[in-house]
Amino acid sequence: MKAIGAAAFAISAIYSWSACAQEVNLTVPIIVPITGLLALEGTSQLNGANLAVAHAPAGLKIKSQVIDSGTAAEGGANALERVATAKDVDFVVAPLFGTQVLAMLPTALDYKMPILAPTGTGPVTEQGNPYMFRLYPNDAISKVAHIRYVVDDLKLKKAAILYNTTGYGQSGFKFMSEYITKLGGEVVFSEGIDLSTKEISATLAKVQAAKPDVILVQMHSASIAMVVKQIAASGIKTPVVGNTTIAMPATASLLQPSDLKGVCAESASWVEKGKSPASDKFLEDYIAKFGAPPDAYAIQQYDGLMMALTAVKSGARSAEDVRKYMSSNSYEGVAMTYKSDGKGNLAHSVVIVCYDGTSLTPKLVKRYDDIAAF
Amino acid sequence: MIQLLLNALSLTAAYSLLAMGFVLVLNATGAVNLAHGSFVIVGGLIAAALGSWLNLPGAALLPVVMAGMVLIGGGLALIAYYPLRDRPAVSVFISTISMGAILETASRLLFGPSPRVAPPIISSGSFQVGGVTVGIQAVSMIVLAVLLVGAQYVILSRTTLGKRLRAVAEDREIATTLGINVNTMILVTFGIAAALAGSAGLMFANTFYITPGDGEAYMIKTYVAATMGGWGSLRGAVAGALIVSIFEVLVPSLPVVIPVMAGAQSLFSPTASTIWLYLAFLIVLFFRPQGLFGEAVQQRA
Repeated sequence: MKAIGAAAFAISAIYSWSACAQEVNLTVPIIVPITGLLALEGTSQLNGANLAVAHAPAGLKIKSQVIDSGTAAEGGANALERVATAKDVDFVVAPLFGTQVLAMLPTALDYKMPILAPTGTGPVTEQGNPYMFRLYPNDAISKVAHIRYVVDDLKLKKAAILYNTTGYGQSGFKFMSEYITKLGGEVVFSEGIDLSTKEISATLAKVQAAKPDVILVQMHSASIAMVVKQIAASGIKTPVVGNTTIAMPATASLLQPSDLKGVCAESASWVEKGKSPASDKFLEDYIAKFGAPPDAYAIQQYDGLMMALTAVKSGARSAEDVRKYMSSNSYEGVAMTYKSDGKGNLAHSVVIVCYDGTSLTPKLVKRYDDIAAF
Repeated sequence: MIQLLLNALSLTAAYSLLAMGFVLVLNATGAVNLAHGSFVIVGGLIAAALGSWLNLPGAALLPVVMAGMVLIGGGLALIAYYPLRDRPAVSVFISTISMGAILETASRLLFGPSPRVAPPIISSGSFQVGGVTVGIQAVSMIVLAVLLVGAQYVILSRTTLGKRLRAVAEDREIATTLGINVNTMILVTFGIAAALAGSAGLMFANTFYITPGDGEAYMIKTYVAATMGGWGSLRGAVAGALIVSIFEVLVPSLPVVIPVMAGAQSLFSPTASTIWLYLAFLIVLFFRPQGLFGEAVQQRA
């Protein structure tokens, strides 16, 4: 009897030891703006990251560490300095704010730490930094879809462009004005608006005076919501085609359905029920946990972090291993297939969604896959 | 142009409430209340929360918002002013900075960091007047501000409470010798100032949304309006609010109104217009430091 007990104890001890030996300890710093003017987008990004941690592959024991990067340009870089040398950190989730990511790149290079960010700001993957992994289509790509939809589908060519004066806004403006010109259109008016600006009736008066047939917008959530609201309040009927932030449920909730009538958006990703068991589980769990459907930032962050966790599950045991995996492997996410183009751009698909004026949920109108910049 | 003028006036209306509340406290205590911008945020967030809970228009929520803000303003006075009332004014100045940070952080903890929207005062619709779209919210803001300023005028000029408040603002020492409880009057002044700022917050929370971090920007505009209009002058506060609104709405629209300026769009962007405002602020400080309507100073024996 004693021998049987001893044998059972030995077997369970060996089993526990082997289970522990297979378990990989990992700390995932999540540096996102959860306060300040980008809190809406940052919260979405955080939600996506948290769900990825909850859905992590078996065998990974993950400790996530959330750090608020705020709105200051140096917010992300300061946070990265603090976490880059911590134990069990093989990659870092970086903020969606391109201005902050640009400031983080030198630190990422110094510490040889991969950073994953759902930012569209163009220059982020143009610095030759092998540790930068962009989870969101580069503006050079997303604006192709944005402008193609306007010119090819809506047949509109005289554009007024409103953008935030952040790196993201300016990046979008640069590509939109370049691309619409390439497709035979023209920019009849453009104005950069500071993130903190609230009163824009003068800007809208100038837009009306320029007589565009479409208003293109590249702004962060709170700004674009205000612009759409004030456009509706001014009685301006010109179609609006904005960037992904106007497709976010959190942004739409600040508006009335009637404010959004005729508003379309370029969005990095869209997940609808029935696409695959993985995407259905993602949707169900996200809505159950956060009470709202996921937006592009949540989706891309989820997929990006899952890709990195898959790297670890596949045997990556250092930051360099993760970097190599992310640089050379493809990953089938809930939204799209991710594969680096050699510069760290992982996402190459964009969708167009439009509001019909009766609901705060837009409908998928068009999908563009494997887009190349002009 | 009419739409722009209307927007400028509605913005003036809201900024006037802010600036007048700021000046009331300044006159009563001799100190600058740097938590005043936070009153806007708290009022706006309360309006947003009540709006989503009760599904009522802003006009119906206003009495509750104002009552709540009176308590918060009085509470701030008890914490930030009362213990330091015999110290130099700079002590109150510094303590209100702390209180402003506390109010902002508490707002963020209670309501979250994301933008919130409050219901419109009456309605968010619009109507046409001679081909011009007139927003009901813009008109409502003007009417509401006129009513509140009028009510404040009646209180200050026609009631015993108002006379006591004015006596304290004029000269605290003389008011004390006349048997007026100065500390109570100062508490009431903070309450009124917070209520006015909270009303502005209710307006802004629908027109522009409100987030916990907006307080600083509103505080700067309040300070600029109060300084340019006339340090310590209630009339000056309204004038200063008008100046700030002109630079926010009318100056950036000059290329539309004056065609010859159409080629200089970049000089009249919203960002550039902010630079023009602060340049004008500096000019006023250099050449007329007392502001447009002079300065109401405490008379001392």
